[in-house]
Amino acid sequence: MLKFPKSAAIAALALAVCASPALAEGDADAGKKVFNKCKACHTVGDGAKHRVGPHLNDVFGRTAGTAEGYKYSKAMIAAGEGGLVWDDATMAEYLANPKAMIKGTKMAFAGLKEDADVANVSAYLKSFAAEPAEEPAAAEDAAVETEDAEVETAAATTEDTAEPGAAEMTFEASKGAFGLGRVATVEEITAWDIDIRPDGAGLPVGKGTVADGEPIFTDYCAVCHGDFGEGAGRWPVLAGGHDTLTKERPEKTIGSYWPYLSTVFDYVRRTMPFGDARSLSDDDVYALTAYLLYLNDVVEDEDFELSNENFTSIRLPNEENFFDDNRMSEPHYAQGVEPCMSDCKPGPVEITARAQVLDVTPEGEGDENAGGGID
Amino acid sequence: MVSKPDPKGTPRAASRRDFLKTGLMGGAAIAAGAGAAKAGGDPLITEIQDWNRYLGEGVDAAPYGTPSEFEAHVVRRNVPWLTADPVSSINFTPLHELDGIITPNGLCFERHHGGTAIINPADHRLMINGLVDTPLVFTMEDLKRFPRENRAYFLECAANGGMEWKGAQLNGCQFTHGMIHCVVYTGVPLRYLLEEAGVKTNGKWLLAEGADASAMTRSIPMEKALDDCLVAFKMNGEALRAEQGYPLRLCVPGWEGNMWVKWLRRLEVGDQPWHQREETSKYTDLLAEGKARRHTWVMDVKSVITNPSPQAPVTHGKGPLVISGLAWSGGGTIKRVDVSIDGGRNWREARIDGPSLPKALHRFYLDINWDGSDLLLQSRAIDDQGLVQPSKDQLRAARGGNSIYHNNGIQTWHVNTDGVVENVEVS
Ligand code: HEC
Ligand code: HEC
Repeated sequence: MLKFPKSAAIAALALAVCASPALAEGDADAGKKVFNKCKACHTVGDGAKHRVGPHLNDVFGRTAGTAEGYKYSKAMIAAGEGGLVWDDATMAEYLANPKAMIKGTKMAFAGLKEDADVANVSAYLKSFAAEPAEEPAAAEDAAVETEDAEVETAAATTEDTAEPGAAEMTFEASKGAFGLGRVATVEEITAWDIDIRPDGAGLPVGKGTVADGEPIFTDYCAVCHGDFGEGAGRWPVLAGGHDTLTKERPEKTIGSYWPYLSTVFDYVRRTMPFGDARSLSDDDVYALTAYLLYLNDVVEDEDFELSNENFTSIRLPNEENFFDDNRMSEPHYAQGVEPCMSDCKPGPVEITARAQVLDVTPEGEGDENAGGGID
Repeated sequence: MVSKPDPKGTPRAASRRDFLKTGLMGGAAIAAGAGAAKAGGDPLITEIQDWNRYLGEGVDAAPYGTPSEFEAHVVRRNVPWLTADPVSSINFTPLHELDGIITPNGLCFERHHGGTAIINPADHRLMINGLVDTPLVFTMEDLKRFPRENRAYFLECAANGGMEWKGAQLNGCQFTHGMIHCVVYTGVPLRYLLEEAGVKTNGKWLLAEGADASAMTRSIPMEKALDDCLVAFKMNGEALRAEQGYPLRLCVPGWEGNMWVKWLRRLEVGDQPWHQREETSKYTDLLAEGKARRHTWVMDVKSVITNPSPQAPVTHGKGPLVISGLAWSGGGTIKRVDVSIDGGRNWREARIDGPSLPKALHRFYLDINWDGSDLLLQSRAIDDQGLVQPSKDQLRAARGGNSIYHNNGIQTWHVNTDGVVENVEVS
């Protein structure tokens, strides 16, 4: 049942050992919080799987780019082949500025600014070693207990769902013409039907303030979307862009473009943080939505509380600027016009622009040109 | 795959490549190559070749076959700078390497918003809920007991050509037009499933939802859902590929690819659209005056010349040249395709060959005798509703430069006297 470490016995041993005194420089407990910044892409602990990035169990002592079954960048594989092994020094260098250390790494993470954060998260990662650390430890610290508790919960859930197994449950048969399928239960519909409409249909009961949202955003969202929703690297921008919709490079954000607030709540709840969907509570999502309103200057008070009660009273500034498809009214689609077949242009045709001028066609690795977009 | 050394000790593939390279220089080179052979003939003919002497692999060498090793360059490709991470990104169908109208499954472009979900069909469920008489849950087994249909449809991402709105940018029809594929789907008409649940009279909209990490959702008007949508489990005869939504995807024929929800797990009936992220933040069309169109579902009448094109230059010199391309319309069939070799001054009707099916790709050809001079190749499709593919300038005049989606403007390729092809815009 326990996929990692290999057996429960080793697991217990490893967990007991992880409070090793070798961690004096770093505090695993504090590191657990730092790891929130990594969580969207990495998992650790029992049952850890590759996500956007490789799982980080046992990463200390491992050659870079070698976790089985994960597709690394060529740069990371080359670094490993060049002898890079993760230890305190190499980890610190990588986490401080990943792209500076390994040019071409696909870890889209700006880096940890504080040395203490690096030390602490390293300590935390060391606590997920399958093999006992060199110096056996006596004490257990809080981090260990928390992890233990999580392991137990996970195990309990597995058993729970395994027991009544869908196959053994009895359901009401369909009464349709084919009599295929069966009636969905209320619990099933509640579990999946989480969509929200602009009129507020579907909103769960809950609430959260701008001030509540700020730390959640910092911990779970800012690594990709930036501290103020400005977007880190090429990750989506969530705030700003006012009055840019008619400019050369419009910035389409929640504040500048999105018509409805319900979309923010719905989308964040169903799919963010990227790589750890459905991990936020409804109150978290209210708080984050409030915070995103604040980042977009739609609300200005840090104490503003968004709830299912006042949700539909909030309107986004660009709501009025959407209208339904009217492409058929464009002049080039005018009906009944036979296309010209000969001498359609006055003289010989001239080339006015060439792709080679902008040449951004991928030829191999490492194209980092900006320009254009797909969405 | 085992390459047997030939008598001269060079691998066979290499000498074939050399031969192709010589071929690039045209007829003269072939004559010279033949001249070099002592016996006065092409050594590929006058000498006994390995593949003619030694036995090849037996059956089952590849229980699931793959393309010839000489086709290894025929792959989907992506443009890394377009997106932050390959998990929410796109790659492109190599249109310049394909012919006919059907796209092989492994070459169908991919667009995911949260990576490829891996789902055991035994664990997959499809729920219908909302404004229905009876909310239902189907297993894959249940779905396969409904009557099925087979239909060939193109699927085009609304953003196909989006990078070209502001001007010619990418050199290759794979990149300018490759967010499209055309596949024969096997599936159950969505109508049957909705009827099984019983849509209430105020059920005017449908929300389709995926089971992946992006839990993709799109609102679809009920009229379309009851018309020709399919809930498909097969593509080109075999199970859907994982990256195309295995085990179950929605087909919304003629409409933008994003609506063809992959890993389809839920259909909710409602009385209003939901205005989900992919129909507000994305897949809306910002016009010059700052206002935006929404619900622009139908994919416009469009065509592109796939050969010659920047990735497929003319290597054979003057003489007979096959100009080939694809045309399609979300409105129905293609009635006619015109081709111009002088940048749109004069047009000739191309020959449509192969099946002409509604909302499917159409293959066209124009067979010319190339005099070796510069060409400005264009194609222009006209669909069965009489809609004519517009020029890029007409589109920009109507919509401004800030649109991304629904770029169906006429593409121009410049073929120079050496046969090299470039993506250009013309007067
Ligand atoms: C936005 C996603 C993302 C975030 C956030 C992120 N990583 Fe990564 N990480 C990756 C990816 C992707 C790779 C693989 C890099 C490669 O192949 O070049 C990676 C690789 C690594 C590796 C190398 C692993 C190996 O097997 O060689 C380490 C160590 C690592 N990350 C640690 C961290 C830590 C610690 C954090 C948080 C402080 C973090 N990462 C945050 C995506 C992320
Ligand atoms: C690992 C990087 C990452 C993290 C962490 C992350 N996001 Fe995202 N976010 C993305 C990506 C990638 C997309 C676009 C996904 C797609 O292509 O469909 C996105 C899209 C969004 C959008 C829609 C943007 C638009 O313009 O359409 C919102 C809103 C959003 N995220 C909010 C959040 C919130 C709130 C959190 C924290 C709970 C969060 N994200 C955490 C990567 C991330």
